Amino acid sequence: MPELTSASLPASRTLAPNPTAAISVRGLTKRFGSFTAVDAIDFDVARGEIFGFLGPNGSGKTTTIRMLTGAIAPQAGSVLILGDDVVSQPELVKRRIGYMSQKFSLFEDMTVDENLRFYAGVYDLPAEKFAAQRAYVLRMADLVGRENELTANLSVGWKQRLALGTATIHEPELLFLDEPTSGVDPVARRHFWDLLYELAGRGVTLFVTTHYMEEAAQCGRLAFMYAGRLIAEGSPREIRERYLRECGPLDTAGSAAKTPSIEDVFVHLVSREREEASR
Amino acid sequence: MIAAALSRIGAIARKEFIHIGRDPRMLIAVLVVPVMQLLLFSYAISFDVKNVPTVVLDQDMTSASRAYLQTYRSTDFFNVKGSIDGLASIDDVFRRNLAQIAVVVPAGFGRSLARSEKAQVAVIVDGTEPNAAQLGQAYAIALNQVYGNRVLAEWGDRQGIDIAQAGRLEPRVRTWYNPERRSADFLIPGLMVVIIMIVTVQQTAVTLVRERDLGTQEQMMVSPLRLPELMIAKLLPWTFLAFVDMVVIAIVGIGFFGIPLRGSVVFLAVAAALFVFAALGMGLIISALAPSMESANIIALLIAFLPAFILSGFAFPLESIPPFLQGVSYLFPARYMIIISRGVFLKGAGFAELWPQLALLGGYSVLVVVIASVLYGRRAAR
Amino acid sequence: MNAKRIRLLIWKEFLQLRRDPLLLRLLFLMPVLQLVMMGYVVGADVKNLSTAVVDLDHSVVSRRLAASFASSGYFVITARPAEESALRPLLDRGDVKVALVIPEGTSRRLSAGGSVPVGIVVDGSDSRIASVGGGYASQLIAAFNAKLIAEQGLTVSGPGIDARVRVEFNPSLRAVNSMIPGLIATILVLSMSVIMSQAVVRERERGTLEQMFVTPISRGDYLVGKLTPYVLIGIVQMSIVAFIGRVWFQVPFNGQLWVVVLGLFLFMLTTVALGLLISLVSHTRQQAQQTVMFIMIPFMVLSGFIFPVASMPPAIVPITYLIPLRYAVDFLRGTFVKGAGVRELAVPLLAMAGFAAALLGFAVASFHKRLSD
Repeated sequence: MPELTSASLPASRTLAPNPTAAISVRGLTKRFGSFTAVDAIDFDVARGEIFGFLGPNGSGKTTTIRMLTGAIAPQAGSVLILGDDVVSQPELVKRRIGYMSQKFSLFEDMTVDENLRFYAGVYDLPAEKFAAQRAYVLRMADLVGRENELTANLSVGWKQRLALGTATIHEPELLFLDEPTSGVDPVARRHFWDLLYELAGRGVTLFVTTHYMEEAAQCGRLAFMYAGRLIAEGSPREIRERYLRECGPLDTAGSAAKTPSIEDVFVHLVSREREEASR
Repeated sequence: MIAAALSRIGAIARKEFIHIGRDPRMLIAVLVVPVMQLLLFSYAISFDVKNVPTVVLDQDMTSASRAYLQTYRSTDFFNVKGSIDGLASIDDVFRRNLAQIAVVVPAGFGRSLARSEKAQVAVIVDGTEPNAAQLGQAYAIALNQVYGNRVLAEWGDRQGIDIAQAGRLEPRVRTWYNPERRSADFLIPGLMVVIIMIVTVQQTAVTLVRERDLGTQEQMMVSPLRLPELMIAKLLPWTFLAFVDMVVIAIVGIGFFGIPLRGSVVFLAVAAALFVFAALGMGLIISALAPSMESANIIALLIAFLPAFILSGFAFPLESIPPFLQGVSYLFPARYMIIISRGVFLKGAGFAELWPQLALLGGYSVLVVVIASVLYGRRAAR
Repeated sequence: MNAKRIRLLIWKEFLQLRRDPLLLRLLFLMPVLQLVMMGYVVGADVKNLSTAVVDLDHSVVSRRLAASFASSGYFVITARPAEESALRPLLDRGDVKVALVIPEGTSRRLSAGGSVPVGIVVDGSDSRIASVGGGYASQLIAAFNAKLIAEQGLTVSGPGIDARVRVEFNPSLRAVNSMIPGLIATILVLSMSVIMSQAVVRERERGTLEQMFVTPISRGDYLVGKLTPYVLIGIVQMSIVAFIGRVWFQVPFNGQLWVVVLGLFLFMLTTVALGLLISLVSHTRQQAQQTVMFIMIPFMVLSGFIFPVASMPPAIVPITYLIPLRYAVDFLRGTFVKGAGVRELAVPLLAMAGFAAALLGFAVASFHKRLSD
């Protein structure tokens, strides 16, 4: 049976990194001792895209994102962020990107306002700009009137929106979101994605890692990561159609063939990889 | 009902053991490090003042003065490092910490002796370390008295005169329990207690807080476990470990350093078990009281560490401190354990003499479990 | 490095510290409490030793001898057993630390011009008390002898030694005067290293550390921003503690203020660097705690604060040179007690500067490296 391999990935990708892309990764590798966390991956993220990065825990997702943001350095490969090499010139890059982390990157023992002021200061926002941004973030996060509350006392939904606010207070061109909606109820999650679409509508590139497959379906393009390698890449529809073309319809206990969900595809790919690994 | 309680306790205790076993760094910190420290420090520490750095100033430069100064060199106490140029150098030498005692023989020393007169010498002692200074004074006085008597006696012999001796008292100092006056024998039984105290209080200071941080506390609150049972169960594995620690340390002390063990081993073992339990309980209380792990750690260090060294009777005598502080010192189980430890090792004491301390340790342990339960219960209810 | 960002980080750190009132109280109150409590203990002079007197002579002389002991201030007579055999239980229980045994016939033999052995029993299980107590007792007896001789009007003419023994620096021989300066340094290294290490590790555990490094905040910014508040706090702490030491315990200060400030500042940099280093090898706050303790116990024991370095076996002495606290204790004793100046204290000052530079340098270098993993 023909397999869905990385060979069936977009042929439009060049060997050399693409400086016009938002993110362009070639041969990115990271090892921790004898363990290879990220194994020579390549991918591009076009400007203005909403790019989803999926994978189970331990697949190398977080390591990859840390290399993309310049927090750690790769052993091999290149990373161009917004045209700049993040390894050799991290300062140039860091001003133009934003990052919202798993733990929401907020200081729990500081108030909403203090958190905003801190990040504004870090990115050197001039006073009038800060005033405008602050007003915007408070409105967007529905925290008007709660500026002096301690972040620790906010419920998860509000914290999440505030974290988005502090990550975008300097109007970055590219925003990394590391599992932004974990632990959040579906209503808040929907609202959050509305905010994300608004950002994307303004031309901000979004790089989202997530566990939730329904969220994956909302992205423009996806990449699956497993055991340090990319095992699939493309838009949700492309991935589903390619799978159907190559593997035939899913057998679901005798019922009629149905279009596989992203989750189905992913589960199948992972079990395929596991089989290969054990051979 | 007791059986049910015991089995609940057993289950939690087993869980704690597993936690401990999975964390090799912790095991090393708790088992290996204290033994290493005991070995190193027992070898190092001593209150025996000797080899006190001394300088001499011989302004006479006669055979008499040289003979006199030679007596200092031949003692254990004075460690003559060299000579200085002049009186002005004494302060400098003291300030640079190069010596603590200076012996000055002025010009005319030999002449005075030859003329059968009293010859003057000066001994200057640096008072910065009062202990060494006092002993230095006493030794200097004694050395000079002896030398003076010898000179007089030799002169008397040469003259054929029988020196009339006035009646005088001769002090005969007898040291009980530690005849060779090895301060090691005194310090090591105390050092054992100090090390264990520090390691144990520190341990539980974090376990409860850690669980609160991790949220497993909720789960346990739902179970039929009662609070005192939880406290006891948490303490047991650590008690066992720390007890093993004490045993190893005691064996090392006896084997390597020849500390005598004159009293009842059984009594010591029982006391040790209670002590360890009580010390761990202190840590438990700290963790129940502290709002965060950092404060728990800081409090544990500040409450357990310095007091273990200073308020327990380990190195500093507690007889002449203000009564308020005496009271505070009784808040630390190490205080009782050191009395017991020294008593059993050195004085051959046992239950008959030391039962008050044992009772206090027992009472302390019970109190600690009660307080911890109350505090922890209140916190959980919030 | 960017001054504005560093100021921002310092502002944040103080903000967070203020939000944890217990921590603030701990930072400032604890050292003070410790100094006061411990000061009384480490500064206690060995005196008022409970003593038993067994007077088997019952003469004027024997009573005078016992009285001279009682009035010396070193001994407090708490028991007068009739027989020597009664001493054993008293000493076993620790009710009495010293015993004076005046044999029968003392007065008679003294008048006849002979020498009389007087028994002094000391509880050797407490060797400090034993050695000092025995020393005091011998001195008292020597003084008693001299008085007896003077009273009998006998002088011996002939050669002898007239020794003038005097004490330079701390003539009152008060233990407090020399222990408090050492205690100041000890309390400081303890609190600074634990607070510093906890602060950094907490941030790493919470993940906010990582967050900062995707922003334009450089590692240099972060380090300076993190260390400065604690250095400032340390300075305040030290000043308070030193002030209390001066005022409460009346510890004389004979040195120059600027010298002390210089030395303490260098030592403080060392303690802060120590805390930073500890935070680098610890992944959790608990590990940081254990590491602090692992390091602090040898500090206490080998620094010369409690046990004199001169009394340590030669093999151990080189190790004591590795302990920064040792130099701080020497330095502080030098300025407080001996009024030593920069020239005389060059060795400890240089050592502390060296430690500060080396530890800070190493900590900064490791910090850069570790966080790139």
